[in-house]
Amino acid sequence: MSHQGTQVEIPDEAPPRTPSGRRTGVGDTSHARSWSRGFFVKLAVVAIADAVSVYGILTAVAVQSWGVAAFLLVALVAITWVYFSRRGLPAKYLLPGLLFLLVYQLFVMGYTAYVAFTNYGDGHNSTKSDAVAQILVQNEKRVEGSATYPLTVVDKAGTVGFAVVVDGKAEVGSASQPLTAVDGATVDGGKVTAVPGWQVLDFASIAGRQDEIVNLRVPFSSNPDDGSLRTQDAQNGYLYRSALTYDAAADTMTDTSTGTVYRPDSRGSFVSPDGTALTPGWRVAVGFSNFTQMFTDSRLSGPFTQILVWTFVFAGLSVLTTFALGLFLAITFNDPRVRGRRIYRSLLILPYAFPAFLSALVWRGMLNQRFGYVNEVLLGGANVPWLTDGTLAKVSVLMVNLWLGFPYMFLVCTGALQSIPTDIIESARMDGASPFRIFRSMTLPLLMISVAPLLISSFAFNFNNFSLIYMLTGGGPSFTGTPVLIGHTDILISMVYAVAFGSGLKQYGLASAVSILIFIVVGAISWWGFRRTRTLEEL
Amino acid sequence: MRRSIPLAAIAGVTLALAACSGSGSGSGSTASATASAKPTLSGTLTMWVDETRIDSMKPIVDEFQQQTGVKVDLVQKVSGDIRTDFVSQVPTGQGPDVIIGAHDWTGEFVNNGVVATVQLGDKAKDFSKSAVSAFAYNGQQYGVPYAIENIALVRNNKLLKDTTAKTFDDLVTQAKTANTPFSVLIQQGDKGDAYHLYPLQTSFGAPVFKQKDDGSYTNEIGMSGDAGTKFAAYLQKLGKEKVLDASIDGDKAKQAFLDGKAPYIVTGPWNTTAFTKAGMDISVLPVPSAGGQEAKPFVGVQGAFISAKSKNPLLAQEFVVNFLTTEKVQTELYKSGGRLPALTAAASKVDDKVLAGFNAAGSTGAPMPSIPEMGSVWSFWGTTEVQLINGQAADPAGAWTTMITNIQNAIATKK
Amino acid sequence: MAATSTRTGTVLRTSTKPSRSLEHHAPVHGVRWWRELGWRHVVAVVMVVVCVLPLLYVLSASFNPGGTLTGSNQLFRHVSAQNYQNLWGRYFGSWLLNSLLVCTVTAVGTVLMGAAAAYAFSRFRFRGRRGSLTFLLLVQMFPQMLAFVAIFLLLLSLSKVFPAIGVNSQLGLIAVYLGGALGVNTFLMYGFFNTVPRELDEAAKIDGATHAQIFWTIILRLVAPILAVVGLLSFVSSYGEFIIAKIVLQRPEKWTLAVGLYSWAADEKTAPWGLFAAGAVLAAIPVVLLFQFLQKYIVSGLTAGSVKG
Repeated sequence: MSHQGTQVEIPDEAPPRTPSGRRTGVGDTSHARSWSRGFFVKLAVVAIADAVSVYGILTAVAVQSWGVAAFLLVALVAITWVYFSRRGLPAKYLLPGLLFLLVYQLFVMGYTAYVAFTNYGDGHNSTKSDAVAQILVQNEKRVEGSATYPLTVVDKAGTVGFAVVVDGKAEVGSASQPLTAVDGATVDGGKVTAVPGWQVLDFASIAGRQDEIVNLRVPFSSNPDDGSLRTQDAQNGYLYRSALTYDAAADTMTDTSTGTVYRPDSRGSFVSPDGTALTPGWRVAVGFSNFTQMFTDSRLSGPFTQILVWTFVFAGLSVLTTFALGLFLAITFNDPRVRGRRIYRSLLILPYAFPAFLSALVWRGMLNQRFGYVNEVLLGGANVPWLTDGTLAKVSVLMVNLWLGFPYMFLVCTGALQSIPTDIIESARMDGASPFRIFRSMTLPLLMISVAPLLISSFAFNFNNFSLIYMLTGGGPSFTGTPVLIGHTDILISMVYAVAFGSGLKQYGLASAVSILIFIVVGAISWWGFRRTRTLEEL
Repeated sequence: MRRSIPLAAIAGVTLALAACSGSGSGSGSTASATASAKPTLSGTLTMWVDETRIDSMKPIVDEFQQQTGVKVDLVQKVSGDIRTDFVSQVPTGQGPDVIIGAHDWTGEFVNNGVVATVQLGDKAKDFSKSAVSAFAYNGQQYGVPYAIENIALVRNNKLLKDTTAKTFDDLVTQAKTANTPFSVLIQQGDKGDAYHLYPLQTSFGAPVFKQKDDGSYTNEIGMSGDAGTKFAAYLQKLGKEKVLDASIDGDKAKQAFLDGKAPYIVTGPWNTTAFTKAGMDISVLPVPSAGGQEAKPFVGVQGAFISAKSKNPLLAQEFVVNFLTTEKVQTELYKSGGRLPALTAAASKVDDKVLAGFNAAGSTGAPMPSIPEMGSVWSFWGTTEVQLINGQAADPAGAWTTMITNIQNAIATKK
Repeated sequence: MAATSTRTGTVLRTSTKPSRSLEHHAPVHGVRWWRELGWRHVVAVVMVVVCVLPLLYVLSASFNPGGTLTGSNQLFRHVSAQNYQNLWGRYFGSWLLNSLLVCTVTAVGTVLMGAAAAYAFSRFRFRGRRGSLTFLLLVQMFPQMLAFVAIFLLLLSLSKVFPAIGVNSQLGLIAVYLGGALGVNTFLMYGFFNTVPRELDEAAKIDGATHAQIFWTIILRLVAPILAVVGLLSFVSSYGEFIIAKIVLQRPEKWTLAVGLYSWAADEKTAPWGLFAAGAVLAAIPVVLLFQFLQKYIVSGLTAGSVKG
């Protein structure tokens, strides 16, 4: 019945279906072909958009952001073509939204897909060159028992050097020249203040050459084992020895004391023959290993079915309950004779007006087993384990989600109800149809036209409603003794979180791979849902 | 006429194009000009600090600015995200020069290569030893401490006058004489709270990880075996006696103590400020031993890190190593932040009784481990403890052993 | 069904108040009043209590300086306006303004772009139409777990070209929000547009109206209720959004209210609950006011339904 009703309502045959928007007819006169006011508005808007794009392209090329430049070029052509062509009428209406969608949503999807194939995460956080630099710095150790050398930064024809006092004598050196004693230097309070042939840099010049100074290593003597002088604040120098050296040509790290050679492996780390890896590593592409890990990792596959079932139950019931309550309330207050309905409606959207994480925290407190308002006050000192019993926690999660979510459905239904002609409802009432029958045979089918896609989106949203679970129960009560900490109320996405981030290490690669799989699952189900409800057929 | 319109549009576009190419290249050249001129203006440090520390940091950076002429751009970050953001933004070059944070971030930062090394040199000996070593990792120093905090036993002097108990059990017995709904409050919550239970655990001789002689942690679990299972059994006992209750989360514990419903609470200086503000008369004491050995709380150290990709490494070092380490600054930070200074000279002048109490209670404590393995521990640890407390796990030894196995597996899979 | 048979004979009623036969009924009393109206008030009262009760904790905490959020069930023990006074020294005013600006622009943009798209889908038949609709629906189902990293990188590269929509820019945040303009709301509007009879367009076309004129002057007016609903939904969702906002807006003076409030609650150990609660209470007021204002459009006279007689 409902299908029939919805189908009938859609005026799908009304306009003649002509091939691909190439439509002719009186009504199709576009602004592009008449000198109306609207045309000038359009011209101005498009000209501005084009000007901005052109400016953007030039700037992007200047800063070598090729991706941005390419996108802008495409956008420029698309905008100009769409708005000045006779063709592509629908595109004129779709383009603005689509452009934003392309930039901001598809980029996120593309980026996630890209990350899914890398090992991005803790320990593999940046590029290889960053990793090499960091490994070297982290393994540069101060020579034990060496002194602090008050240090002066000096310059000779653009070459930076350090001047220090060693054994009471001023010595100067640079990257290529080990420290050597100089005559005629002025020393004041243990610090060199002037060196013949070198210019002492003042603070302003030092501030301008920070990288150069911080990266400068002045060999202490011609014997490399003596270490080299280095400063971090341009005031004090310390002797350092590198525990590791990097051979750029061979791309290997060598331990200077043991001679162990670390080679880069396919997982983005320098690894010694015995398997010891140096940290940090870097980001590399790892192929499908994040995807295969999901199936081979028993921590993931073990409780999978149980979690999956609950995820479906949670998402399905959340939609059903919020929609049922929202619709019921919308119909209840759609009767214009109800006095004060404006006030009622405003109060009913209050749960929607407060930040959800705040509400979840309050509910967590209210459902506390011993001291919560629900047990202590409403149930007169009962001891119901609302959030600590597996089954009850599920019920609680659904109830709280109902509380949080019904105002949304209430608003949507209130709006959608306005599309239902009061006249036919009224005439059915006159014919003696019962209110329930009117609702079942007329109101609901008509309403479903606008809200059916919303219900499916709402299902998808709740399928991934990580924040509610995280804030209310954190997935708890936890299963006892499981190798990864998940619990009775965990849904798929929060399980992903527990596995990919819960152990303190962030594994973005794995998380991305799992979210892509979840997307495929939810997408397929939703698509199937659309087919089932015939929503797509009616599109 | 119809044809002329697209033409006009194209003309408009080319005009715009010409106009923009002029301004485009112009802006390009000015950009490069400022880039090359930048060095002379480069006296600005960007510093990230979260909302809990920003108020005390503000006057300090103003002072630094006056003293050195280096501008400090203090950026407030949300405490829940500052650490993640730092790790993800430093590689993009967008991170700050300096970040104010806690010592237990060190491992993660080093592991991701986002912090620079610092050299305290001779200044190191002016600090409490554990505060400096808290920021060390694999024998390298990465941060400079300025304040120390830890939990301790807090007594409501209105309810009980003195504490003679030598053991935790005696303490509970004495607390019950106050005839309040609760005896000794230790916050838990549904996910447990291993941090607040740690003094009790260490009194059984079961530290989370084994320590080397220099105080740094190995990645070998220290809470397995007999000591651990004894503690697990003790937790179960406290749970049965309702001394510990999973329903008592941070909010409940704080409120109950504020309302005079318990003579004791195990908590930290972040709550005592609220207690004294509410006009309560409190004393801060060490937590008595439950298992025979000394009860050692975790010590948290606050300090500053320098970004590995800082564009102002010298200025950053100047602030972190040479300015933040002065007695004057550490004293000021203590006055505004209410935490014990890490610099010994400044700490010795603290006359606040409450802070002195915390100091005494924490003097034996060890810094919270900052090794990445710690991340695998927290959740298993807390959950198992809360399951012992609420009776969900009936066999303490078995639950504890399973927990150890799970933690070890989690650490192993990370490698 | 009645709708089918009457569809062809549509006439646009121009009266601002369509005939609503119910309104002309004489007042009802007694049992009939209970059966028809009374129960609605009962439902209302019950629901209002359910809605408001948890929020009383927030209200109570907002009046209690230095208290906890859910530490005690004795509400309103301390009543003082101190938290509310303290709000103003802490960017709260700028956050409120920022939020109003960002969310208003986002809502207007979402309504315009969504309505335009819904119009195209509802009124034109073109190749790839169903495909695009399916695509739009599926795109929103993508788990946004890594969105914060991706958005940051994206804005970073945009910063180099257009600093105005890059990192730390409210315009940039609006643009990110508008990326979701063609989301679920488009479908809501699309469904509603479909209920507006096509004969109206055809009639207007014969009168020489362009498609743009039909869109701006006829359709948009007829679908006012759903535009108001979508505007409100969009406003509220960006008003409460903080995950993307805190990534984009790096400085407290640029934050939106949601980010600001989140920052107060982020560290549960030291969270200033009183301040936070007071902020949340004040933050809810614009939403309720906006709804009050939009309500008359949502349930007002010139609806699509009235043209269907």
